[in-house]
Formats: sequence, C-alpha cells, structure tokens
Amino acid sequence: MAVPLLKQGDVLIASIQAALTDQDLVQLREDIADRVGRFRSRGVVIDVTSLDVLDSFATRTLRSIAYTAKLRGANTVVVGIQPDVAFAMVQLGLALEGIATALDLEEGLAHLDALATEGRHRAR
Amino acid sequence: MAEHTQQATSQVLLREMGISDAAIERRLTIVGFEPADLPRIAALKGVVVAHASECMEVFFTHLSKLDEAKVLLSSPALLDKARRLKRDHLLAMVQGDYGARYVEQRLELGALYAKVGLDARVFLGAFHALLKHVGSLVMKELERTPIAGFESFMSLTKIAFFDISLIVDILVFERERIIRQQQEAIRELSTPVLQIRERLLLLPIIGVIDTHRARLITESLLRSVRANRAKVVVMDVTGVATIDSRVANHILQTVLAARLMGAHVIVTGLSAEVAQSLVALGIELSKLDTVGDLQGGLEEAERILGYRVIATEGGAPPALGAT
Repeated sequence: MAVPLLKQGDVLIASIQAALTDQDLVQLREDIADRVGRFRSRGVVIDVTSLDVLDSFATRTLRSIAYTAKLRGANTVVVGIQPDVAFAMVQLGLALEGIATALDLEEGLAHLDALATEGRHRAR
Repeated sequence: MAEHTQQATSQVLLREMGISDAAIERRLTIVGFEPADLPRIAALKGVVVAHASECMEVFFTHLSKLDEAKVLLSSPALLDKARRLKRDHLLAMVQGDYGARYVEQRLELGALYAKVGLDARVFLGAFHALLKHVGSLVMKELERTPIAGFESFMSLTKIAFFDISLIVDILVFERERIIRQQQEAIRELSTPVLQIRERLLLLPIIGVIDTHRARLITESLLRSVRANRAKVVVMDVTGVATIDSRVANHILQTVLAARLMGAHVIVTGLSAEVAQSLVALGIELSKLDTVGDLQGGLEEAERILGYRVIATEGGAPPALGAT
C-alpha cells in the first residue's frame, strides 16, 4: 500500500496508515526524495502513529530517508512512535540516532518551525 | 461447596509453591523412600487404621498442654477440622499412595496451622509424640518379630519426614506471603509520575530498583509522556542508594525510548557513590543528560521549555482556605 504524501505549506507529510512491506518503504523513500525537490520542501514529517512494530529494516529505511531528505535540503521528523514500540526498539538496539523525533504531528511541525526560525536567525 | 473450595485452595497452593509431580518424586527420594518400603508400610496398615483416632488424640492432647497452640484449641470449628484432617492423615499415611492428592491434603492441614499461627517447633513436638505412640503400638503388635517391626516403623518414619518437610515449607511459604504482598504494594505505590508544569513531568524514584520495578517505571513513564504530551521529563534518583549495571542499562533504555517519543529526559540526583560505581562499572552514560540536583534539573527543564520564573516584589501571603 502506497503511503500518501501531503504537501502542507513548505512541509511534506507522510502519514503511514497501515503496516508496510519492505517494498512500500523503499517506494516511500523514492517518493520523498522526489517530492522534496519538486515542492522545494524544507521539512518532512513521517507519522508512524498507526504502526505496532518498527523492525530493523524499517528503522534503517527511516534513517536513510532522513539523510536523503537532508541532502535535498529538508529536515525530517519522525512522529507518533508508540510507547511499546519505542521500548521494543531500544531493547533491540534500534535507536534512531541522528533523527529528530516528536510526540505527534503537531509537535513535529512545531519542531520544524523552530529549526526554520533558528536558521533565519543564523542567516541574519 | 465448602469442601470444593477447600480443595481448590490447596491446589492453588500446590501450584504457587511449584510442587509438581516431579518435585513430589524428588522429595520422596530425598527422605530415602524406595519401593521396598511399600510392603513394610502395608504391614502396619491394620494396626494404624484400628488406632487412628487414638493416635490423633495423642497429637491434640500434646498440643493442649502447650500455650503456643491456644489459638487452634480455642476455636471449635478449626479444631474439629484439624482433628478430621489429622485422622485422615494417619489413614492416608499407610495407604501407600503418596502422589499429588496426598500432598494436597498435607498442604491443606499445613495452611490451617499457618492460619492459627502454629509454629513448626510446636507442630514438631506434637508430631513426635504421635510418632512415638504409633511406634509403641507397632512394637506391641509385632513383638514376636521386633526387627521386622522396627524396619516397618522406620519405613513409615520416612513418610513422616516427607510430611514434615511439606508442613515446614508451607509454614515458611505462608509467612513469606505477607512479605511478598508488601513488596508488591511498595512497587505499585512507588512509581508516581507527576506533572509539575505544562509539558514537564517529574519522576521521583525512591528505594531499591530491581528489574521488575525498572520495567514498571519504564511503562508508567512512557505512558505518561503520551498522556500528558510531555516534552521534558526530570527523573530524580536522589532516593536511590545503589544502581547496578542492569538497572543503569534499563534507565538508559527508558531514556532513549522516551526520546523516540519526542521527550527529553534529564536525570538528577545521582549520588556520589552511585556516580562513582557507574563510572567504575564502565557504563556508557554519555547519552544521558544529567544535572546535579533536582533544583538544577527543574531549572534546566524550564529553560528548555522556555519558562522564566520571576520572583515578585515582596512575595505574597500563602492562600489559606478558611481565614
């Protein structure tokens, strides 16, 4: 099942609705890499609220999405990791190092806003 | 119905104490019970069955002379039950079947002793008097063949010791039940997660952390992060005297899991001893954000959340309810 990508201002929102196959994840990475450039997005939010499990492949793909997007000029935030999922990931040693995480969509957008403000300050 | 509940209780005990069929087998081996004992015990069947009530009386007569058994003797209902069970016990002892059903009956009687606070030493005294009486009956019955009589009696003694081990175990188990319940209560009570500002949680940890409690702490913290939409959590371990490597690792995992949920955890109050032992253990804590004391931790949290606390001129009187 393909993941819908929503454009909200200069942020791209990937809202994952159901369990994804490895193929879907790779497709998601390609889609995001493409859209970030096309829409000139400065941020990407990946919402995983509905996922009950994040395995090593999913974690690795999320990380590669974040790095890919970064190279295309957008910051990535993963939002909505469930408590059980979070603890299971840590126990399996799958911490998302180097990737911003936030509680939910709202928090993720606020985080991207904060980054943008910081960037403007630095530019001045 | 009551009988049925009783039986269920002793079955529950059997399970709780982890006495499986294999464990019963093992216990019999420990007292040195072997197939050759069965015919010897069978030889005593007649005399013991004929005098069962009399032997039971010896047991309770001995108890009646002891102050320690007052509680049991002052309750007619319990005493009646104990007498019935003790008589059943004597009859069962010579039946030759020492399986789960037999053990259940022993546990039922043991649970009754535990209920009336009959200590092992008191029980042992009375049980010895009973055995002595059985022994003299046996010797009288088999006076022509004293060697055979003695051997038969010693075989029966093996079962008696098997019974004693069960009774002592259940007395200890029942006494420890209170301790287990209190530990459980302490664990449940001692992991509060408090919201002290919008989006700021405080998790004070006091006492000993073991693996079970560490898991409870993790669960309640992660759940609260979600429920209260927390952005910063201050975990205060001032009240924790020792942290070993397993617990430190668990704390670290909790902190990382909270981070995946978008919350930043500040650990405060690591005592000098704990800090030194963690360093000595070589535990990698560079991923932790630690601040010396709770006050510092709260100030850091407020800074992250963008709060600034300002003292007003002269302060204000405390708001008292009635006056």
